[in-house]
Amino acid sequence: MSVQTPDVVVARDVGMSYPTASGRFMALDRVSLTVGDGKFVSIVGPSGCGKSTLLQIIGGLAAATSGEILIDGVRIAAPHPDKIGIVFQEPLLLPWKSALENVEFPLALRGEPREARTARARDLLALVGLTDFADSLPYQLSGGMRQRVAIARGLVRKPRLLLMDEPFAALDEQTRTRMWGELLQIRAASRATIVFVTHSLVEAVYLADEIFVMAARPGRIIERIAVNLPRPRTIDMLGAPVLGALRNRIWNLIAEPQS
Amino acid sequence: MTRWPRRIVVTLVVVALWELLFRVGVLSPVIFGAPSLIWSAALKDGGTFLTAFRVTAGEMLIALAVAWVGGVAFGVLIGAAPLRSLIVAPILSGVIALPLIVLYPVLVAWLGIGTPSKIAYGAAAGFFPVALATVLGIRTIDARYAEMARAIGATPLQIVTQVKVRLALPAIVSGLRVGTSLVIISVIQSEMLSATEGVGFWISYHRALFNTGHVYLGIILVLVLAVVANAVLTALERRLGGARVLAQAVG
Repeated sequence: MSVQTPDVVVARDVGMSYPTASGRFMALDRVSLTVGDGKFVSIVGPSGCGKSTLLQIIGGLAAATSGEILIDGVRIAAPHPDKIGIVFQEPLLLPWKSALENVEFPLALRGEPREARTARARDLLALVGLTDFADSLPYQLSGGMRQRVAIARGLVRKPRLLLMDEPFAALDEQTRTRMWGELLQIRAASRATIVFVTHSLVEAVYLADEIFVMAARPGRIIERIAVNLPRPRTIDMLGAPVLGALRNRIWNLIAEPQS
Repeated sequence: MTRWPRRIVVTLVVVALWELLFRVGVLSPVIFGAPSLIWSAALKDGGTFLTAFRVTAGEMLIALAVAWVGGVAFGVLIGAAPLRSLIVAPILSGVIALPLIVLYPVLVAWLGIGTPSKIAYGAAAGFFPVALATVLGIRTIDARYAEMARAIGATPLQIVTQVKVRLALPAIVSGLRVGTSLVIISVIQSEMLSATEGVGFWISYHRALFNTGHVYLGIILVLVLAVVANAVLTALERRLGGARVLAQAVG
């Protein structure tokens, strides 16, 4: 019997360092965080603060040199696609597969019967609003559509946790703003816990329940901020004083000269 | 649909002009041959050339099969492991730079003057470029695809077979193209150097006797083999052509 924990993600003293020509480089220094069930958590920080590395470690794609990660109370050292879905900055769709085939690819890899996996993939395409584009090839889709396919692929195995590594960074601003609304809807429908890494402070605040602010050299968490914006979030809130104040508070944390 | 009639007309005009220039004595038959000389060579020794064609085509088929299958299999095996490919790729490029023809007499000593030495020589010439193209093709695909595949639960074998090789296909097909032309060249070349049968052998034989009609007949048969090989490759490229464009479009 494992101990029941309400936290989907628990990171304990996670460290990551590797040797370079000028000695050991500390990418992450004793990072600890918890993410509660169903929460939307953003991680922000300056370039090189190790936020993407932290996400990779949480996803089991990279191994920490110290500390441990528990997902649902179980220690993680390799990808667990049944527990964790990952969406990258680029959609990374396989160009010869249709949108539907890309979404069902994780199921095909496990040898699930065609009918079951196609039905599941169609459900997810509907969730991301791409029912009419099931048979389109990636090059026929816009950047935002491709990233929605990637989100559907990340959710197809019903993971409790969805990790997103700057998923909207490559999109233009209008598309990105539209994707925020879509993502919040998708999240409400799938009930997944989300850890979202981003450069954009507005994005971080608008989407999240909680924000971890990181600093660089060594990469570490310097602040945990609760976002007191009601849900559902609406586009009007982008102009709300609370959001602007939070954004500025984070900016001042990040912009402080680092030693 | 007007392409084919036009092609036939152009061909007929060229052939007629060739024959005309030979008849009026402008073209030396010893150097340029003539359609009528090729025709009479075909009537006289067509059976020999047909047998030779079968021998040469058979050698090429086996050599191509070895070069394609062996080259791709070896390339995938090496390309799938970054360290292995870093070590092996320069060796493959080095071998390709060697004039393999210097090894041909050794092959004849080992395997005899019959078809096995032609097959071995042709296969060796085609193997290395196919293997190198496959190694480089797999090595240079975007590593983020492999990470994505790992994240969605692909096993190491599935990452290679269902992601890496598929993404590398355009590069692999270009390698097949280079390898195929090298196989065709090398088989003919080896037959011309030392053999007892095959189209290359008869071209070389009749050239020594100044039977230009026979030489041109042999050349036409080699062209047929090259055209067929090219058609197969083009069909293959067309089937994969979509994937090539898409891979670039999505990035």
